[in-house]
Amino acid sequence: MTVTFPHKTLPWLLIAPQLLVTLIFFLWPAGQAIEQAFYQEDAFGLSREFVALENFIELLQDPYYYNSIGVTLVFSMAVAVSGLSIALVLATMADRIIRGQMVYQTLLIWPYAVAPALAGVLWWILFDPAQGPIALWLEYMGIEWDHFVNGGDAMILVVIAATWKQISYNFLFFLAGLQAIPRSLIEAAAIDGAGPVRRFWDIVFPLLSPTAFFLLVMNIVYAFFETFGVIDATTAGGPGQSTKILVYKVYEDGFVGLDLGGSAAQSVILMMIVGLMTVVQFRFIERKVQY
Amino acid sequence: MAAVVLNKVGKKYPNGFHAIPSIDLDIKDGEFIVLVGPSGCGKSTLLRMVAGLETISDGELSINGTRMNEREPAERDIAMVFQSYALYPHMSVAGNMGYGLKNRGVDKEVIEQKVNDVAAMLDLSHLLDRKPKQLSGGQRQRVAMGRAMVRDPQVFLFDEPLSNLDAKLRVQMRVEIRQLQRKLGTTTLYVTHDQVEAMTLADRLVVLNQGHAEQVGSPLDLYERPATPFVAAFIGSPAMNLFSAHLQQNKLILGQNESIMLECDHSFEGQVVWGIRPEHLEVTETEGDFKMRVKAVESLGAETLIYGAIEGVNEEVVLRLSGPHQPEINSNIELNAPQDKWHLFDANTQQRL
Repeated sequence: MTVTFPHKTLPWLLIAPQLLVTLIFFLWPAGQAIEQAFYQEDAFGLSREFVALENFIELLQDPYYYNSIGVTLVFSMAVAVSGLSIALVLATMADRIIRGQMVYQTLLIWPYAVAPALAGVLWWILFDPAQGPIALWLEYMGIEWDHFVNGGDAMILVVIAATWKQISYNFLFFLAGLQAIPRSLIEAAAIDGAGPVRRFWDIVFPLLSPTAFFLLVMNIVYAFFETFGVIDATTAGGPGQSTKILVYKVYEDGFVGLDLGGSAAQSVILMMIVGLMTVVQFRFIERKVQY
Repeated sequence: MAAVVLNKVGKKYPNGFHAIPSIDLDIKDGEFIVLVGPSGCGKSTLLRMVAGLETISDGELSINGTRMNEREPAERDIAMVFQSYALYPHMSVAGNMGYGLKNRGVDKEVIEQKVNDVAAMLDLSHLLDRKPKQLSGGQRQRVAMGRAMVRDPQVFLFDEPLSNLDAKLRVQMRVEIRQLQRKLGTTTLYVTHDQVEAMTLADRLVVLNQGHAEQVGSPLDLYERPATPFVAAFIGSPAMNLFSAHLQQNKLILGQNESIMLECDHSFEGQVVWGIRPEHLEVTETEGDFKMRVKAVESLGAETLIYGAIEGVNEEVVLRLSGPHQPEINSNIELNAPQDKWHLFDANTQQRL
């Protein structure tokens, strides 16, 4: 059934706010970035010169850029895998609690409300080599920790900080997914002779797979694009290039290095990655992960 | 195949609610037992206790002479058919049916053989590769039964398996379940709230009321000699006419101002519940035991149900006549209640007299 409007203008008026927001805050800046990617501009923004694909060519010959891609892949995989698995364990346990479930759930959701930069600072303090309680405890255990010097330590720190925030989000979806599985299925499997571990892998996990796949994409998107605050507040991309993910490099090259053209070219590549992920998500969620 | 014995089995929840105070039941090998009662009477709880999905708080459950209270569901050698069927949505029909055997480490070829045999018996052979989503309600129901049968368990447990089917299919599956059970000879416990289903399927019926077994017996036993007014009202459709009455000096007195008095040769004195089935009331042309004023008529073709009120006592009454009849609304019908069809219960103890 379709509703028909007698007016020609009313429908446009109704969607105008949404359209305006999209145009002003998404399409216009995106267009600017694409345009910028083909120009070379001086640091003060006084003059610019059309350079065609030179920004891209330069970028693709830059070993630092490839390093950044590698860092991003390691970082996003680590965040997605640890975020998903920890959240799944927590949700499975929360699903079994009968008393105090609300309290437990609410507490687990809180980290999501913490601003990324704050989360970063929090973990940065906890792991501070000179005074952070976790760093001191690690030292006591005989493990050396210094994320100011050691790139691996720095990566672990940003992964922990970024994952910690994302677990709440994953937890919510997993818990909802778990609670949507009918109890009788689990009971039938129990009667069919499947123990708790087997029930999880044979019944629960396959039924959660659409949720898990959705979350995997969301987590990668999160790690790619929304972890700027966490990185900026903790390692600022360092030491060296060891935690400089693509988004952070866009910011640093553009706003610190003032190479606006190169930064814009990086943005364009990132936009293409987002587009690709969206396509993959829709294709797969609607087709592959169906039972 | 096995005998199932429930010895003073009870269920008490942590909040103190006594869902089932104490039930004794001795199920013989190969028997078809139906647990029937209104919703909330504890019939599903009892079944789930036998399955091992609910803990048993009191008493003992044994299958084939072995105590089962502490055993896991998988160790009891039972199979259950759920009301929702509980088919694994991501597995094929064959996968669903073979899952229990696979978990028990049975060889692949043996599983395939058994699944094929059962599928042939249930007319599912052409559906083995389908997913549950691609099946109709009746087919899903069959798969759920097939999953139970493949394992060849000691006991079948059915939890209202037909309530999600439409009326026609329900009758068909009812007959089929009964035939299969006879053929396999597997001891069966079947839960339903539908008394027609209960009457047609059961070797013996257990009527449950608030966790108590009101009466245990064959369907006809329960129909002919209900032990309590509850059973009398529950078994039979339309339900038995029940009136509170008074027995005094070989007279049954109905109504507050003794408007109806019937002779009877019962020696009991005091408050009683008097019952007579709608099909046992007799229409008479002359003056009968009492008059009924017609309020509504339901013509079903083969029989006619007439609803009305007894004149003088203002009690509802139902009359069932075979064949078509068309009495006028608000007309009076003279009725006889033959004494050999009476059911009398002590109003205080609720027991049959």
